[in-house]
Parts: sequence; C-alpha cells; structure tokens
Amino acid sequence: MLSVDCSELGLSEVPANLSPLTAYLDLSMNNISELQPNTFHHMRFLGELRLSGNQLFRIPGEAFSGLYSLKILMLQNNQLRRIPAEALRDLPNLQSLRLDANLISLVPEKSFEGLPSLRHLWLDDNALTEIPVQALNNLPALQAMTLALNQIGHIPDYAFQNLSSLVVLHLHNNRIQSLGTNGFEGLHSLETLDLNYNELLEFPVAIRTLGRLQELGFHNNNIKAIPEKAFVGNPLLQTIHFYGNPIQFVGQSTFQFLPKLHTLSLNGATDIREFPDLKGTTSLEILTLTRAGIHLLPRAMCQQLPSLRVLELSHNQIEELPSFHRCQRLEEIGLQHNRVREIRADTFGQLMALRSIDLSWNCIHFIHPEAFVTLHSLTKLDLTDNQLVTLPLDGLGGLTHLKLQGNPALSEPFTKESFPKMRVLEVPYAYQCCAYGACSNFFKLSSQWEAEDMNPEDEDLHKRTVGFFPGHADNHYDLDIDDFQLELEESKLHPTIQCTPSPGPFKPCDHLFESW
Amino acid sequence: MHPNVSQGCQGGCATCSDYNGCLSCKPRLFFVLERIGMKQIGVCLSSCPSGYYGTRYPDINKCTKCKADCETCFTRNFCTKCKSGFYLYSGKCLENCPEGLETNNHTMECTSIVH
Repeated sequence: MLSVDCSELGLSEVPANLSPLTAYLDLSMNNISELQPNTFHHMRFLGELRLSGNQLFRIPGEAFSGLYSLKILMLQNNQLRRIPAEALRDLPNLQSLRLDANLISLVPEKSFEGLPSLRHLWLDDNALTEIPVQALNNLPALQAMTLALNQIGHIPDYAFQNLSSLVVLHLHNNRIQSLGTNGFEGLHSLETLDLNYNELLEFPVAIRTLGRLQELGFHNNNIKAIPEKAFVGNPLLQTIHFYGNPIQFVGQSTFQFLPKLHTLSLNGATDIREFPDLKGTTSLEILTLTRAGIHLLPRAMCQQLPSLRVLELSHNQIEELPSFHRCQRLEEIGLQHNRVREIRADTFGQLMALRSIDLSWNCIHFIHPEAFVTLHSLTKLDLTDNQLVTLPLDGLGGLTHLKLQGNPALSEPFTKESFPKMRVLEVPYAYQCCAYGACSNFFKLSSQWEAEDMNPEDEDLHKRTVGFFPGHADNHYDLDIDDFQLELEESKLHPTIQCTPSPGPFKPCDHLFESW
Repeated sequence: MHPNVSQGCQGGCATCSDYNGCLSCKPRLFFVLERIGMKQIGVCLSSCPSGYYGTRYPDINKCTKCKADCETCFTRNFCTKCKSGFYLYSGKCLENCPEGLETNNHTMECTSIVH
C-alpha cells in the first residue's frame, strides 16, 4: 500500500494520477477550493484522507463515493458553512471525522446517517448556535465528540439521548446559560464532561444521570451555589474543577461519598461556615478551602481524610486546631490568615511526611515544647506575624526556611547549631542574624524568599495548589523539577545563609536586650 | 517589526524568521515546535503531529502529548489508536482485554466474542 504526502504544495485541485493502491493521502495545507464528484472513486484501499487547511466551502454529493475503506477523514480548517451531508452518505467504515475550524452553522438532520461506525467527531470552533439534536440521533458508535468554541446557549432535554457509547463530551467555550434537567439523559457511558468557560447560572443538576462520570469541569461559569446531593449520581468522580465561579454556598454534605475524588478546591465561598462533611470521600489528597468563614475544624476530620497530602485552609476564622495525627500522609499545611492561638503537643504529632507549615498571620502566643519533635521531614515553617515570645527548637533541626518576622516579643538570639541546614531565615531583629558569622560580608540583602515563594495574597491559590503535585491530571510543570532548580540556584548563587533583616550601621551586631 | 522577522512566510505562518521558522500562526492553526538536530523550528499545522492531540481555545490552539501507551488520541484520557502491544477499548489502551471481550490482532482492539 502507498502513503502519499502532497501537503503544502500550493495545489489548487486534487492530482489526477493518484494510484489505486493509495492507503494514506495527505492533501492538507493547499489551496483546493473544489472537489469533483468521484475524484477518489478508484481508491478502494484509502484509509486516511487529509483535506484540512484548504479553501473548501462546499463538497458535492459524490466527492467521496467509493471510499469503502476510509477510516479517517480530515476536513478541518476549511470554509464549510454546513455539514456536507450528501458527501458523507456512504462511508461505512469511517471512524474519525474532523470538521473543526470551519464556519458551520447548519447541521442537517441526516448529516451522519451514512456513518454507522463513527467514533470520533470534531465540530469545535464553528458557528453552531444550538445542539444538533436530530443529527446526533443516528450515531450509535460515537465515543468522543467536541462541540467546544461555538455559540451554543442552551442544552435541551434529551439532547444526547441516543449517544449511549459516548465517553467524552467537550462543550467548553460556548454560551451555555441553561440546561434541561434531563439534558444528559442517555449518556450511560460518559466519563468526561467539559462545561468550562460557559455562562451557567445554576449548578448543572442534569449530571445526576451520569453514573460513570470521572472528570467534570465547570470552571469559569456564573454558578453561585453547589447544592446538597449535587454529586449523588456520580460516585466515580475523580476530578471536579469549578474555580472561577462566584460560589457562595456549598451544601454541608455535597462532597460526601466520592471515594475516587482526589482533589477538591474551593476559594472564596464566603457563605461556608462549617467544614464540609467528607464522609466516604476517602481518597482526597488535596483539599483547598480558602477565604470562607470556617471557624472550627472537626476533631474526626483526619479519620475521613486518611490520604490527605495538602491541606490549604488560609483566610478563614479558625481559632483552635484539632490533632492532625491521623492525617499520616500530610505533606503541606496552609493555615495562614486565621485566628489560631496555640499549638499543642499533639497538634502535628506523628506527621512524618510533613514538609511545610504556614501559620503566618495568626494570634499564636504559645507553642508546646514538643509540638515539632516528631516532624522529621519539616523543612519550611512560617510563623510571620504572630505573638510568639519564645520558639521551641526541638524537631526544627531540619529546617531550611524559617520565617519569624512580626513577632516583636521574640527577642531571643539563635545559635548556628539550632538550624544546621538553614538557608533562608527571617527574624524579628537584625542582631538575631549575627549568629550566622561576621555581619558584613556574609549577608546579602535579599528578598529571595519573596521572589522564590509566591505570596499567597497575590497569586491564584488554586493554580499554586493544583499545580503543586506532578501526579495531578492537568498540572503543567513538575514540582520536583521546580525544587531541583531552586536547589541549584541556592547552591550556586547563595552558598551562604540569607538572613534578614540584615545588620548594618544602624543595626549593629552587638547584642542589645529588648528591641531597638 | 523585529529585524530578523521576515514577512514572506511559508504555509500557515503569520510571522517567521529564517533561523526559527514560524514565530506565530495564522488563525485556527496549531503552533508546534519541531526538533531538527539541535535546532527547534516553529511550524503551523491544521492538525497536531502523531502522538499529540489538539485543544482549541479562543486565544490559542495547543498540542499536548497523548499518554505513553497511545499513538493517537482525542484527549489525554481518550486514545483513538494504541501503540503496538496494547489493545484499544473505549478510549483506553490495555495489555489484556476485559472479561467478555476478545483480542482482535488485526485491528488491535478488544471486540465482543462472536459465538
């Protein structure tokens, strides 16, 4: 069999002398504006035909006649205004049909009747204003379809009722405002539903019929509430993305019984007063619940979340912390901007994997001497802006980053032996930096930490948390690489310890009691 | 306009340079970096290369890698043709077919058992 590549040759028509033994023909990125009837009639073995990136604005009924072996037909990036239904009438083995990036606004009812084997359909980036319900009624084998980047405003009831084999449905970047409560009836096999970047005002309750759903996205819509029992029909959900919505309310048990869910991110849902009941959602690894009104963490919280690795609860009103000791896999805790007053001995007990604790901007006046004793992996501790008088050092020997600024009563000097691995240290007073060798030539004015560790105030916490772990489905960079680069930069450029505020003429190194 | 950016560009390029090929594409095309020896050349395509799938967004069209066991895919989690040694079933690449299905070594898919 032959593979013929005639792409990007400036052709204005299909070459006449193509061999009948051609199995693959690429005519993409030329200037072909017209196809003649029966052009490919002699090519019984043609399996893949690429006509993408041409100037086709219509396709005659007989253009593809005779192509009984055709499996893949690429017509994207042309000028078609309607589906060439007549030309698609007799392609019994066609599996993949690309019609994306055209100008299609009309999908005749019988468009796909001649395609009993069609599995993959691209209609994204066209001019559709509604779901082509009738045309979609004749695609029993369809498994994946994208209608993204169109101008669809509504999904009617039973829009996809015969698509029982559909596994992936993309509807992102449309104008969908409303959805029939039976809009997804019939999609028994659906695993991925993408409703991102639309104008939905209400939570899409129609998803309740999607029993096999694993990936759900409705981020960047206008949804204000996620009701109780929102996901009661979707026990297999692994990821739910809904950031970029003005969500104020979430039901107390909305996220219960989702045993496969591994990430839950909620930012700015100010109506949330209580920590959600996550009974039965035992695989959760990343929980981000920031800028809400939570003031209490349930004692049994970790029993519901044994797999938790990242807990991000910044910007709430938490006063008292439970013991996190049952969250055995916890690696990162973010509790900045809360009202925590004290850290007990058992607060972080037995958390062997814990690497980073951010307790900045709280009201901590007491830390139990044994609070950090068991934290063998702890490398980053942020206690900026609290009310500390003293800092227990047991268990902090592995720290590389420590922030203590904004604790005016914490005036004790530190010794170099307390933090043998320290690289970046922020302390309340300049003289506390003198422990790290002669004052002048060792220290560098650096806002290294600021440049290196983005301030949670300014950046989008969701990206930082979601993109923080390599395993996460849509993460675009790898944390290990990031850390590795940080280490490289640290070791190359800053062989010394960066301690701020740096002592200077007006902040001499002589140890003066009390503040200056 | 940057001195090294020429206007007479090939195919789907909007701007290009002699050394780097396409720097930007005409609308609705996918920008891809092709490696030629040590060099990387920008090219503009109407579909992503094999082993990648395309996602269209209002401001950019992106090519992203399929999973390791997949040769061509619709999205990262939905394969349309598996690499050799794997059988395709409902968008997934399996080394063995699920119960109730049999391997078809011609199409390299899992198919219903015909009695």
